[in-house]
Amino acid sequence: MDPMDDPTRVPAAAPVLPDGPAPGAADVAAPAPADVPAPTPASGPTEHARTRPHPVAALRHTFGGIAAISVKELRGRMRGRRAFVILTLYLFLLAGFAWMVELGMEAAYSNNFGQSAALASSSIGQGIFAALIMLETLQVVFLAPASTAGAISLEREKQTLGLLVTTPISSPAIVLGKLLSALTYVFLLIAASIPLTAIVFVFGGVGPEDVVRAYVVLLVTALGLGAFGLCCSSLVKRTQAATAISIFGVLAITVGSVFVLIFWNALANDDNGQGRGPIKGQPPAIIAYVNPFLAQIDVMCGTESFSGTWCGILSSLIPSGASTTSSDNSGGGSNPPIAVPVPAQPVPGNGVIVNGGGQVFVGNGVAVGGVNVGGGIAAPIAADVTAFGVVRDAFWPRSMLTWLILTVVFLLVSIQFVSPTRRWHLRRQRRPTPGPEAL
Amino acid sequence: MTAIVRTEGLVKRYATTLAVAGVDLSVEAGEIFGIVGPNGAGKSTTLKILATLLQPTSGLAEIGGWSVTRNPDQVRRVLGFMPDVFGVYDDMKVWEYLDFFGRCYGLSAATRRRTIGDLLELVDLADKRDDYVQTLSRGMEQRLCLAHALVHDPQVLLLDEPASGLDPRARVELRELLRELRNLGKTILISSHILPELEELCTSVAIVDRGQVLAQGKVSDIERRLRFGAVLRVRVLAEGEALEAARARLAADSDVATAEILDDGTIELGFRGDDAASARLLSEVVRDGLPVVTFARAASDLEELFLQVTAPDRAPLDAA
Repeated sequence: MDPMDDPTRVPAAAPVLPDGPAPGAADVAAPAPADVPAPTPASGPTEHARTRPHPVAALRHTFGGIAAISVKELRGRMRGRRAFVILTLYLFLLAGFAWMVELGMEAAYSNNFGQSAALASSSIGQGIFAALIMLETLQVVFLAPASTAGAISLEREKQTLGLLVTTPISSPAIVLGKLLSALTYVFLLIAASIPLTAIVFVFGGVGPEDVVRAYVVLLVTALGLGAFGLCCSSLVKRTQAATAISIFGVLAITVGSVFVLIFWNALANDDNGQGRGPIKGQPPAIIAYVNPFLAQIDVMCGTESFSGTWCGILSSLIPSGASTTSSDNSGGGSNPPIAVPVPAQPVPGNGVIVNGGGQVFVGNGVAVGGVNVGGGIAAPIAADVTAFGVVRDAFWPRSMLTWLILTVVFLLVSIQFVSPTRRWHLRRQRRPTPGPEAL
Repeated sequence: MTAIVRTEGLVKRYATTLAVAGVDLSVEAGEIFGIVGPNGAGKSTTLKILATLLQPTSGLAEIGGWSVTRNPDQVRRVLGFMPDVFGVYDDMKVWEYLDFFGRCYGLSAATRRRTIGDLLELVDLADKRDDYVQTLSRGMEQRLCLAHALVHDPQVLLLDEPASGLDPRARVELRELLRELRNLGKTILISSHILPELEELCTSVAIVDRGQVLAQGKVSDIERRLRFGAVLRVRVLAEGEALEAARARLAADSDVATAEILDDGTIELGFRGDDAASARLLSEVVRDGLPVVTFARAASDLEELFLQVTAPDRAPLDAA
């Protein structure tokens, strides 16, 4: 061990020679005793060892930093009427949309058959719930990364980052403070929509636990995509580029992932398990997990009394291992797929539900065949026969876990890149320390 | 006296350029230390390394006994930094701006309130307290930035080109402010390429060019060390060959080190002698029949010194 690095070493009367990397031995050995600082306890130690603050003090310091950034950001964002005018308009739009869906579904049901009022009401409730949650997901998916994409790069563009990182505020505090303050408005929009979403309880068909699930997905999605936008912002110099990349990323995980799933399933399905085709087996589950819409579809699926539209979409897209429906095939599993030319709309009231994925269920939910048409998956899935036809919570919790892991990864990358001097500690530490000859 | 800011063999190498090529600085507590050099000399890079914004390629940099690379957090607590270019946040009031930085340094609410009031008085922005930052003039922004660097009452202030972009009045105000800060016991490192600014203000200077310190110490010491006298500007009523003959006559004097004809026809002399010697030279050349129009010392000693030591024909220093 280099004697200079020994933190227990008592400062001697002799001048302390620097132990940092030096360009030449002569330069470093030269300083006269008078040039060496005789630091007071207030000014610093003679050893150049890295000092580590007490963990509790460090934590308090970090929270102080997060608070500093958040207060500063929120003062800017929430000043004046703008934020609240937008919130009000947003709620009006959301309410109008919910009303529109309700009227549309009512009209559809009243024109159809002689269905019982209770079933119609619950169907309308489920419809409004799905419509509202999907709209909110759409809003979160674009708003969250858009509001964080400028967090770091704007500081760089306005040349304020230098001022910020010369304060003792830590990089994690900067990153977390930026994330939380940027997402505060998104969270506010989400929270403000809860009373509106509660209108579904008037119609029925959706339980409070379904609403909780949907909002958990919304919050985690906001967090994950917010962290993604922040990561783009810390990696890219310009805000414009960071915004473009994050929007592209959002399109990739939403539209792109669905496209890949359909494409993969189609090719794998054509192969028919023979091992000849270009793509074999099931698509990696991660492709489905990163799509927050699929997670919401799983939540929607949980509201359906027996496998309906949402469950059908889900089971047609995602690998069976990640699916809501169990892999307990009741009859259809080993059968070759049979194409059934049926309409892809649920037809309530006639006892048979045919969903978009091509699975056919009759009456009480007993599957007559796990059938895939075109976009189905390699291993056909049939409905599980439970009280309400489906196994809940198999897909969306894994999706959200994926997002939480991604959030942590994005934040760690952001922390590394936010401060100009703190990048890639690992590589710096591997650099050999100067030996005695340098002293 | 102890060196509160110290660098030894400081090197910062970018992919293709050597921005700082072994800078050794030693600044004593309570000094106003000027770092002078042309654009691209490595002044800003050196200050950024000291401000923990850049990682040096090699070498040692310390502030208050703390290494900027190993203990950046401690350095940040004893240091106030004002970069050459900086922005201000939109949508923020003047007091909120200082309040934000106070929070960053972990000051308590009461301390922040008191400090903000004091600092706004100090930088003469007390009446702008509730104005938005983006409505301030450039000079006010500069003073606000200086105030932000003082929020935590640092021992050392690093000011990178603080006078750039300021009108003459704002410069005078800034100079007054820096004197006041020196009286408060702060050590101030100030970089500039505007030399007369520093000459009056600084206790010591380092002249930097192409990443190296060419001279360092008290202004008078440097002059003596370089045995450098004054620069004389002589205008004679002559053109062409007559002008060249006049230059040759002046260059022939034993006290004249260099004699050059500038673009405007003025002859510039590097002069080793004192005032008596220059009087003697003038009387001699007039007696010899040179039609002398003006004969004067150049305005700033430091500026001329600077021009001499940072002459453009110096060999490139990139020894990489």
